[in-house]
Amino acid sequence: MYEIGRVCMKIAGRDAGKRCIVVDILDQKTVLIDGETRRRKCNTSHLEPLPEVLKVKKNASHEEVVKVFKEFGVEIKDRKKKTLGTKPTKQRKTKVTSSEKKEAKPKKAPKKKE
Amino acid sequence: MVRPQLRARTLRRVQKKTPGNRTVKHYLKRKPSKAKCTDCGAKLIGVPHVRATKLHSMAKSQRNPQRPYGGQLCSRCSRNLIKSRVRPLQ
Repeated sequence: MYEIGRVCMKIAGRDAGKRCIVVDILDQKTVLIDGETRRRKCNTSHLEPLPEVLKVKKNASHEEVVKVFKEFGVEIKDRKKKTLGTKPTKQRKTKVTSSEKKEAKPKKAPKKKE
Repeated sequence: MVRPQLRARTLRRVQKKTPGNRTVKHYLKRKPSKAKCTDCGAKLIGVPHVRATKLHSMAKSQRNPQRPYGGQLCSRCSRNLIKSRVRPLQ
């Protein structure tokens, strides 16, 4: 039932209610899926097969799966790519001499009494 | 005798052991009832039953399961719901 190219609906987990394609068969129970869901290993008991079977190669890349889905009539939005930011480096505080402090902070004018 | 307010059963009592090996009673506010599946009535897993003030301090992902209808339907009912929508009519 779960041949390569079979369109399925994910039933369990945070991707539940999203459509996907079987890309590879790993085991009797597990398949590799991709599509609206994340590309991941999945237990077949967490899938509900749909009547359609699309043409995809075994182990097709995500781009190919997106293309096939577009012909099928489902647009898949681009996922946000993880960008590794540079770690903020701590800068040591330079000691401020007492004379510099006085220049930086001028004394407040005394409050006028009304 | 404790003060009259604490003699009523509005507050729940919790037995605590102190560091000095004494048992004391703590008077805490009662917990709300457990969340239930709106379809079958089963107790929901993954939904903490604590007071609303504590829920505010929790992350969103800690309050509910992250699947659609999480915190409303149990996993079995939500699976059946999705299946029934997808399956062609016989």
